[in-house]
This record gives sequence, C-alpha cells and structure tokens, in this order.
Amino acid sequence: NNSSQLSSLPLQILLYVNVIYYIFYFLATLAMIIYKSQVFSYPDDFLAPDLAVLFVMAVLEVPRSYLGFKGNLTEAEAVLGLSLGLTVGSVVLCVYLLLWQTYVLWADVLLNAVLLSAYGLESGLKVTAIAAFVS
Amino acid sequence: VSRLCVCDLLVAQCDANCCCDPDCSAQDFSLFTTCSVPVVTGDSQLCSQKAAVYSLDVEANPPEMIFKLIDQVNPSIFCIHATNYKEALYLKSPEIPTPENFDQLLDKFGGATFSAEPDSWNLDTDAQNPPEANETSRYEYGVPVQTEDAFLRLPSPVVSSWCSDANPAGFLVNQATKCIRSVSVEKCDSIQALSMLFYINSSILASVFQVNITVQSIIVQSLDGMRTLLSSSEGLRLPMVLDELCINAVLGVNYHITHTDTGEIIEAAAAFVLGAISKEALTIEQSFEISFTQENTQPVPLSGNPGYVVGLPVRAGFQPQGYPFPAAFLSNKHSQLTILQSTSTQDCLAAQGARAPVLFGYNMISGCRLRITAAMKCQPLAQTLLDVLKGQSFPEYVASFGNSQAQDVLDWVPITQLHISEQMIPHTLQSSCQIPVSLGIEVKWTKYGSLVNPQARIVNVTATITTTTLKQLPSGRERIIPITSSVVFTDISSPAEPSYKVWPTINIKLPFDFFYPFV
Repeated sequence: NNSSQLSSLPLQILLYVNVIYYIFYFLATLAMIIYKSQVFSYPDDFLAPDLAVLFVMAVLEVPRSYLGFKGNLTEAEAVLGLSLGLTVGSVVLCVYLLLWQTYVLWADVLLNAVLLSAYGLESGLKVTAIAAFVS
Repeated sequence: VSRLCVCDLLVAQCDANCCCDPDCSAQDFSLFTTCSVPVVTGDSQLCSQKAAVYSLDVEANPPEMIFKLIDQVNPSIFCIHATNYKEALYLKSPEIPTPENFDQLLDKFGGATFSAEPDSWNLDTDAQNPPEANETSRYEYGVPVQTEDAFLRLPSPVVSSWCSDANPAGFLVNQATKCIRSVSVEKCDSIQALSMLFYINSSILASVFQVNITVQSIIVQSLDGMRTLLSSSEGLRLPMVLDELCINAVLGVNYHITHTDTGEIIEAAAAFVLGAISKEALTIEQSFEISFTQENTQPVPLSGNPGYVVGLPVRAGFQPQGYPFPAAFLSNKHSQLTILQSTSTQDCLAAQGARAPVLFGYNMISGCRLRITAAMKCQPLAQTLLDVLKGQSFPEYVASFGNSQAQDVLDWVPITQLHISEQMIPHTLQSSCQIPVSLGIEVKWTKYGSLVNPQARIVNVTATITTTTLKQLPSGRERIIPITSSVVFTDISSPAEPSYKVWPTINIKLPFDFFYPFV
C-alpha cells in the first residue's frame, strides 16, 4: 500500500467478486425455491416468508455494495460503517435461509455457506479499512 | 426404521418370506427362499437416513437372516438436508385434546365438515353477515332461500337417517325428504322441531320486503293413522302433553313457495300434518316437502326445461271449444299421451284400460290379441278396438318443449292422424268393414339451441291407424289377430352448423392526393 492511499485493494476486489457471486446466488436460490414448490408440498403459508426473505436480501444488497465501493474509494469511514451495518442485516437473512428455510437442500447449504464466508471476510476487511481511515 | 415391517400382517404368527417379522424364529428363517422386503428406509430424498437391510444367507446351513442397520446417503446435490415444516415428510399426528386446547379444537373440527385449509373457510352460517336486501331480490336455481336469521330449513337425513336441521332449501329445487327424530313425551313441548312455530317463525327475504310463511292447512293424524283436515280458522297449535300422549307434534311440513318469472318470491305457505306421539315411542319419522310454483300458472310437472328430458312423459293436451279466440287456452290437466299397456292376459277385450304414458325418447311397442268369433258384429268391434288402441281421451296437441305453458299456443304441435287400410283382397265392393289393427305414433324431434347444450324439441307427431278388412268367418270358427300399438321417436335434427366470425380485413385506403405532386 502506498502511504498516501488508505483504500484497501483486497476489499475492492472482494466487493466485486461478491457482487458477481450474489447475482448467481440469487438466481440459483430462486430457481431452487421454484423447484421445491413443484416437487415437494410447499403451502403458501411457508412459501411466502422464504420468498420475502430472499427478495429483501436482494434489495439490501444493492445499497450495501454501492456504499461499500463508495466508502472504500473515498476513504469515508461513515459510509463504510453504514455498509458494514447493512452487511450484518444480510448476514442475518443468510443465516435464516441456511437454517430456518422450509426445505434446506444440500445445494442451499453450500451456497449459503459460501455467501456467509464471503460476508465474513468482507466485514473483516471493512473493519480493517475503517481502522485505517480513522487513524 | 428397524421396527417397521411392512410384510408382518399376521399377528403372533410368522409371515412367509418376511425377514423382518419378529414372530419368526430361526427355524422359520431356514424355510424362507428370499426376503420379500429387502430394505426399509425413510424418505429417499433426505441426504442421509437410516436404512434397515434384510437379507438371507443361503450359503450357511441352515439359512440365516441377516439384519443390518446402515446409513443411506443420497448423493444428489438436491437432497433435503433439513426441513422446518413437520408435515413435509410425515403425516401429522392429530392433537390430543387437553383442557387448554379443547375449545380451539372444537371450533375447528366440531362441525359436520371441516376443510383441509386451516382458518381459511368458515362454514358456520350464523357467522356470515346477513346479506343486503337488494342482493336477495332475485334468486337463481339452487341458491338457498334466505330468511331473516339464516336459511329456510328443510330437515333431511344427512349420512344417517337422523334429521339434520342444517339443510337449506334451494330455490326451484323441489325436494321431498323423510328423516327420523328422537323424541320423549315428557319434554315434547320443549323440543323445538316438534312445534309449528319452528317452521314458520322466520320470514323469507325477498326483494325489498319480507315474505311471511302462512299456514295453509293443518291435517291432524290420529294414533291409528286416520287423517282429518281441520278448518282453516284454527290458528297455531302447539305441542302439549295430554294423558301420556304428546299431541300437536309436527309429523310433516309441506312448503309451497310462489315466485314470479324473474325469480322473486312473493308468497310462502306451509301445510302441516300434526300427530300424537305415544309414551313408548322414542323416535318419530318426519317428512318434509317443498315445491315452487310460478305465479299465475298451474303447477304442472315439467318434462324438461326447456327441452324434453329422456324418460319423462310427453305432455299433451286438448284445445278447448271456441279456439281460435285468444282467450281460450289449451288445457293440459291430466292428459298425457298414452299407449296401450300389455297385460298378462293379452286379451284385448278384457283389457282393464291399463295404459302406459309415452316417455320421451323411449320407443315402445305393446299389444294384445283379439279373438274374433263369427258372432261378432263388425262396427261395434271396430269402435271398441279404436278405444282400446287410442284410449278414452286421445289428445290433440303435444307440447313442443318440456316446459311449454298452456297459454303459449304456438308451443304446441297438433297430432296428425292418418289412416292406412291394409287391403288383403285387392278390392271388394262389399260393405266389408275395416277394423283397426295397429296404432303407430311417430314422434319426430330435433335438437334445438346451442351446440354445447342442445335441447330436444318435438316437431311433428303422427298417429297412424292401420285398418284391415274383417272377413266373415264361417260360424263356429274363430280367429285370433294381434293388435299392436307402438311409439317411435325419430331424430330429424339437421347437422349443426357452427358459425364462426369472419376474419377481420384490413381496410386501408390512401387519401386521394397521396402521391401529389407526382400524379
């Protein structure tokens, strides 16, 4: 790292990768929910919360990623902190989809585990970046 | 999984070739040839589950049964890792009622029926909001007749023969039901279903006003079954206990509802049969009937609405004197198209006049045998045979539709009468008389209306009498000739022509000076 530049390069790379992976994750999970609703008995009372959580997570992802990019590039710790907060929300929703979904398939476990680890790594890098910006 | 055994059908006995049967001993296993149930597993879509594997080791002497409990793994990536929905993979065991959840279970399952979707469909009619007055103005066929509090009840047997008071009467659905009610003479004045008030106290909702149910007549039935019609000034009679009998108990109700042709109810009347219940009787049988009549018409049983229904009698009638004055209507009371009904004696002259109604769509043939002796005179014989064949009142008109009203004269088809004479001898100058030997009624009908719901309509009716000459017999001899009558229904409907709309054409016209200034 150049001494004059505090923005974290690994964080930037991870943010890009996360965005691409999230698009794949969203489409795959949606396809699997559709598959489950056809193959298994999936009453509407149980289908609605699962779909709602997935869509809320998608909606949350957009500001989360944008704020992450912006915060890292402008070296603004408040913005990055906000992104970190949104990441916590996404983590909670991801844990719901991993543990409390109506049907958790093995593929669900894999996708969610990868997403959780990506979020975890991202949060760690953000904390480091915030520490670098503040000091 | 190790305790489940699908082939263990006999209790405390060993089932043949059933390796998982706990009642089988080692000696029984030595007699088996294979295992009919080799594997018992749970749902195979789970990622990992226990499986009980049964196999027979035929190498050993004697053959042994080998039982293994293994973990079966589903290698697919779409196997179910976990579920949070209990009913997904097993049947839900029903809740055991406890004092805490009893009320909630009673609400859900206490009625005669309950739906599979919880809390999404409330069958309790009392909880429904009473409908607005303008919604009840017009009834359609089958819609329950609404009263102030709920529906007009017609108690009927549901599942068993016991009366259920929750059966609503449907509009224009003529019903007659019989059911059993349990009674006790001591409490007979407190049992609601035995009192007249229960059946007439609610008024029917119809258009903007309510129609009260009036008491049309009361018939009192004594204990031995004799019925007396009371004069109408009696008023309400409520059940009461008298000398170990309960009198004035309702044994039957007959509702008559009058409606307009647009479906509004204008009148309702109930005819009661009251009786006495003796002390020993624990149950009584009640009978209920409801019939709907359109105003200003006579209640005539319809043979179809509008087209004839196969199996219902063909309606017929006469034109009264003075037709074609517009005030004269066809009368169709008590007249049907009938043909001779064959009897076991087969003797035409001894026929008691039994006739069978002509049912639409059913070709019929019947007959009898006539014994002619030398002493018989021809002319009276011909007249008698004509009566036998045609009956006492052979109608002149037949209804074109099953629901033709008597006042719509154009809906009635005249019966064409033909005479065919069968000449055995090619012409005699003698005054040999002709006697009718057969009557053939040919009914031509067509399909009328829409392609998907064609209605049967009678177009033409021809009654053909075939006569033959009666040869004079030498005295002492007698002849037997068969007399027949038949009805044939012929379908003369032309093939249906479905009509399709013309494809739309594109009409483009360029304006006159489109190519200005080149033209």
